[in-house]
Amino acid sequence: MNPTLRRNLVPLMLGLLWIVLIGTLMVTHPWILSARTLTSVLQFATILSLVAMGMGLVVIAGGAGIDLSVGGMVSLTAVGGMMLVGAGMPGWLLPTACLAFGSLLGLFNGLLVGRLGILPLIVTLGTFYLYSGLALALTSGGAMAGVPDWAIAWGRGRLGAVPLPFLSTVVPVFLLLLGVMALTAWGRWIVAMGDNERAARLAGLPVDRTRILLYTLSGALAGIAGFVSLAWLGSARPNIGVNVELEALTAVLLGGVAITGGRGGLVGVIAAALLVVMTRTAMLQAGVNTVWQTGLIGLLLLVALLANRFSNPRG
Amino acid sequence: MGREIALAVACVAAVVLFSLFSPVFATAGNAATVLRNGYELWLIALGMTLLMAMGAIDVSVGAVMGVTAILTGQALLADLPLPLVIVVGPLAGAALGLVAGAVVVWGKIPAIVATLGLFGVFRMLIFLLLGGQWLSGLPNDITQLVDWRGLGIPLGLLTIMLVYGVTWLFLRRTTFGPHLLAIGQDEERARLMGLAVMRVRMLSFVASGALCGLAGVFYVGIYRNVSMTIGADVALEAVAAVILGGTWIFGGRVSLIGTVLGVLLLRILQNGLLLVGVPSLWQTVVTGALLLGVLSAEVLGRRLRERARP
Repeated sequence: MNPTLRRNLVPLMLGLLWIVLIGTLMVTHPWILSARTLTSVLQFATILSLVAMGMGLVVIAGGAGIDLSVGGMVSLTAVGGMMLVGAGMPGWLLPTACLAFGSLLGLFNGLLVGRLGILPLIVTLGTFYLYSGLALALTSGGAMAGVPDWAIAWGRGRLGAVPLPFLSTVVPVFLLLLGVMALTAWGRWIVAMGDNERAARLAGLPVDRTRILLYTLSGALAGIAGFVSLAWLGSARPNIGVNVELEALTAVLLGGVAITGGRGGLVGVIAAALLVVMTRTAMLQAGVNTVWQTGLIGLLLLVALLANRFSNPRG
Repeated sequence: MGREIALAVACVAAVVLFSLFSPVFATAGNAATVLRNGYELWLIALGMTLLMAMGAIDVSVGAVMGVTAILTGQALLADLPLPLVIVVGPLAGAALGLVAGAVVVWGKIPAIVATLGLFGVFRMLIFLLLGGQWLSGLPNDITQLVDWRGLGIPLGLLTIMLVYGVTWLFLRRTTFGPHLLAIGQDEERARLMGLAVMRVRMLSFVASGALCGLAGVFYVGIYRNVSMTIGADVALEAVAAVILGGTWIFGGRVSLIGTVLGVLLLRILQNGLLLVGVPSLWQTVVTGALLLGVLSAEVLGRRLRERARP
């Protein structure tokens, strides 16, 4: 195979999947391709995109980096935020509280990984169950009402066909992180330590501190996603983050990030996150049994991994 | 043996503590319940021990147990002869283990991500096999078998002792054990030394799958129903039990007795907390916290010892 083609196999595959999806829909269910579907896709994609960007940076930074706890953090920040409101915190502090709480949960992951040197997959597998278990146990499994009206108005509002949450969280975060990755030394450190951690350490880069910050960032983004879920659904649901880690990881790998780190970017991650949600929405609207969704996403993850492996034989 | 003794002490301490707070805890009936609840986890954790000793992991174990439990249940309902019903699970489990092994070993991708993807696929299988309904009110043929007593010990427990014994001999008396640990420590070096790395890794995944399948048979025997959410927390419990038991994730150390005691401690804690009045939703929280706590203590302890050394 042509080496250029081989190196860009995953982005090519992603583009092809988009074309196949839209093409199939145009032929079989043209009515699905409407502004209403776009709104619904972006609405559903808000939580996944936020979380996938955090996970993406954690994976790019290497060191077997992975954050399986993202779904648990989304659930727990939503539940925690509502508990604080229930305990008398003024409603306008809710977004800040979710963000801060998420950052703390992420920082905990980061310290266990960066300070104690425990394998990220074990740490975040543990915190995944810890956080999602806490969200369930604290609410006894039920939803918590009481979200302020202004938050719900924002969570369900839209500008044209674009939902306000997507416009005011995903877009600015994406542009900001894109800027950081392209223009600052920070961005280069992240790629460098993912590509060759030993060399990065020898060059004096603050590898551990950067890694702790990235896990914290992943938590912060999950916290924002938790607030989005509150504002959108009007209540805190302890199971809102179920399966998010699987979908986010699929988006990250399908977006062209190498699981071994050092390669990939956020543009691909967002394109893949939107593809995942678009596929799910189209299946839902076309009346395909939801049973197939988890399986399909799992398969997509495996295919992306194998393609990734094939295009990057090293490492 | 330090770890195993510490775990045994922790088990005894937990028993003493719970006996003080609950009159029901220290009864023969409850002790039998605790052991019986441990059956599936003992089998799954044994497979996980082998995988983690060579630096791998499998988060799809719960779904594999689910699929095999459903197949076993359906074989029971189809009135197949009992010996046949019992081998369905382990065989199907070994086949799913072969799939996992093929993806991880031949595809050369990290086990955690590959098995997460397979978890999604296997869960779809569970949905498809169940067709949106619970499998309930299964015949009690397997139950009678599991609870049948020989020398006063239930057959279920005897089976688990036998499986652990055979695995122990296999690790000690064949080259499988040392090779497993060598791969866990440094796969590349093991390959350069001429070990059949692929074969050993593949064999471990198949063995783990077959054990999950056997766990599925036990599950049907003990609970006699299968719901959609079967095995949701099993991956965490198995990983926690193995790490509690002192098997190192980077290879170099494997402890079957540690895993046995790790499972026992988890089940004692879960049973005891329930009897003391803690809602069962807190079980995953406790297990997760225990896993992270033990790991952190291990690292901090090692650092302190290194600092104390001149």
